[in-house]
Amino acid sequence: MGLPPFATSRPLTLGIELELQLVNTHDYDLVGSAADLLRRLSRQKCPLDIKPEITQSMIEMASGVSHSYAEVLAQLTEIRDVLLENADALNIGICGGGTHGFQHWGERKIYSTSRFRFLSDLYGYLAKQFTIFGQHVHIGCPDPDTALYTLHALSRFVPHFIALSASSPFVQGHDTGFFSARLNSVFAFPLSGRAPFVENWQAFETYFDAMKKTGVVSSMKDFYWDIRPKPEFGTIEVRVMDTPLTVTKAAQLAAFIQTVARYVMVEHPFHPQEQDYLVYSFNRFQACRFGYEGTYVDPGTNEHRPLQEELLSTFNLLESHAMALGTADACAALRQGVLSGDSDALQLRREYEDTKSLPEVVQRQCARWRSA
Amino acid sequence: MIDTPWPSEFITFNEITRLALALMWAVLLGELLHRHARCPRITGYALTGLLLGPTGLTWFSAPEFHHFKLWVDFALTLLLFELGIHVNLRWLFANPWVITASLLESALTFGAVFGALSLIHAEPHLAAFIAAISMGTSPVIVMRVASESRAQGQITQRLFVLTALNTVYATVMVNILLGNLHAAFKGNWMLALMHPAYLLLGSIGMGIALAIAFKWLRRYFDFSNEQGGALLFGLLLLLLSFLEAFDLPILLAPLLGGMAIKFIDPRPQLWPRYFGTAGAILVIMMFILAGSVLTWDGWIHGAVTAVVVLAVRSVAKMAGALSLAPPALLSMKQALSLGIALSPMSVSALILVENVRLFYPTLGNDIANVVLTLMILLELISPSLVQAMLHRAGETLERDP
Repeated sequence: MGLPPFATSRPLTLGIELELQLVNTHDYDLVGSAADLLRRLSRQKCPLDIKPEITQSMIEMASGVSHSYAEVLAQLTEIRDVLLENADALNIGICGGGTHGFQHWGERKIYSTSRFRFLSDLYGYLAKQFTIFGQHVHIGCPDPDTALYTLHALSRFVPHFIALSASSPFVQGHDTGFFSARLNSVFAFPLSGRAPFVENWQAFETYFDAMKKTGVVSSMKDFYWDIRPKPEFGTIEVRVMDTPLTVTKAAQLAAFIQTVARYVMVEHPFHPQEQDYLVYSFNRFQACRFGYEGTYVDPGTNEHRPLQEELLSTFNLLESHAMALGTADACAALRQGVLSGDSDALQLRREYEDTKSLPEVVQRQCARWRSA
Repeated sequence: MIDTPWPSEFITFNEITRLALALMWAVLLGELLHRHARCPRITGYALTGLLLGPTGLTWFSAPEFHHFKLWVDFALTLLLFELGIHVNLRWLFANPWVITASLLESALTFGAVFGALSLIHAEPHLAAFIAAISMGTSPVIVMRVASESRAQGQITQRLFVLTALNTVYATVMVNILLGNLHAAFKGNWMLALMHPAYLLLGSIGMGIALAIAFKWLRRYFDFSNEQGGALLFGLLLLLLSFLEAFDLPILLAPLLGGMAIKFIDPRPQLWPRYFGTAGAILVIMMFILAGSVLTWDGWIHGAVTAVVVLAVRSVAKMAGALSLAPPALLSMKQALSLGIALSPMSVSALILVENVRLFYPTLGNDIANVVLTLMILLELISPSLVQAMLHRAGETLERDP
């Protein structure tokens, strides 16, 4: 199977996927209950888009195609409520956050589908280490060339997306010092990182066919890029975010990405080039490690400035686009977080300070997920 | 004053020597069975009790059991308390099917066992007591095996809850039947009503008091460290002494107290499983001593009835679990695993028998013949069954042997 043709979709439509944690309510460790929850959800009258993930303690919920922040938030809230109702009946806790604070990867079990078995055989322990929870945001693109342009233009904002969503400071029972430690698990995969710099779909097809000929990949699914095109949907998919602690935050982040996408699509403020990627890994690392306090190197000017400052000036650039899209409230809320230096990762750290207990932190994550 | 440099009398070894050797033997046998036959270690403990008891080497018999009964009671208190904490009452309110399944499973067991025993012409009082005791699943075996195979998931969780609830039903039912007997023999109907009510309400009160004390202490102590662990040991020993002082059954208050704690303090519970090594040793002792109460007389008089009860009880528990599988949100495969995993019986059944024997020795002995035979059979068979069922449900964690 080659690359499917790029479907057309309405520009700047939105879709969100959230990977969620399933925990028990006794000691709040992860619990392998995805199959039980899915079996129950399959009896739901109006079917929801909820899927299994690679290990049995994960589940993925997805919104439909939405046109606005308000719409996507309403959708996510509704799905969250149905999920919680069903999880409550099974005595399972659900929460956001990019990692589970104290689970041991060795105790995870692979969800039994042929693809997950294949991945587990191929990647070995990396598959179980992949019990991490991310948010993916799809942005509709009118045509494949615009999709590739937007993809590379958005790459400059990857540190922004990471710092705004970071919610994974704890891994395997320890504070990593990172704001988003989750992405370190993604980097272990051979086909992770940035997409190759090609600017038109024909060239992309050539690249894909060449890769396919090497026998290394068979479909787009085999690429774990930070942003990748999704030709079946006619979208590009931004995959660097941690799952935030609430659906509201998830919707705000999607709104922010939508607004940035509008900004680059409408204004063409710069022309992406291969050179931009010289600082890409550095910027991404800084955002993962230090959050807003990381250093951002401007790919155009090579100027170094705090990511917090860069974020605030980005919000200023987006103002008119946020008005046009109806995302002003969402952007304002995120901006407020940047101004006060607050993030989900810091909230989790504060709760650990407060309780001295990671299980209690997870319990509070569950409460927060239910609340907003 | 000593006359000789060495003991001048015959050297005698006391029951502590035998208990010490039995403990070591139980551990060795448990480990042997675990490594070579993949049995849960607890099977080895039960087998040790059987081999060293009156039907084997006669190292132990009823007097030793009563001498060390405090250990048994305390081990049971620890386990029941921990089981109680696994029962999330909020969940039972959110999903009424769990309670329904539990009531159905126990009612079916009671009805089926009582019916079968009546068919083979057992005396009605005897049949009723045996049926009541049969409702209960052994918390010790269930928790021990689940912990050893590190099981976690829907079936494990439901197994814990159903075990906790049917232990409550069995205890309450036995006490109601006792009240009934008091009324019949002593003609005191007031006593027949009031005594079970006192036992139930007293146990609930003790459980709540325990929960409040626990929550208060948790403000100052972390129960997952050694100091907190010791404090908890003390608290539960105190509870046990109160239960004895007030003549309350030891099976209810720790269980209800655990449930009350999870209800008023839903925070994660983190003290070491079974309170670490000390708890594990108590469980081994408990099993050795429990195995030593069955006599040849018991085997001879109880075996046939015990086998009938075993068969009927197993089918009833399975049917109970299966019949409510769809509304209780289980697949048939899961429900079957759950039904079979509900089979264990052990020390808590023995405690109930002793309870009856205290008031009515003759009837108590007749019950003991059947129930203790049944208990020994199940102590040997059911741990492996529980292990297999949790494994079949995909909820155990593979571990190096």
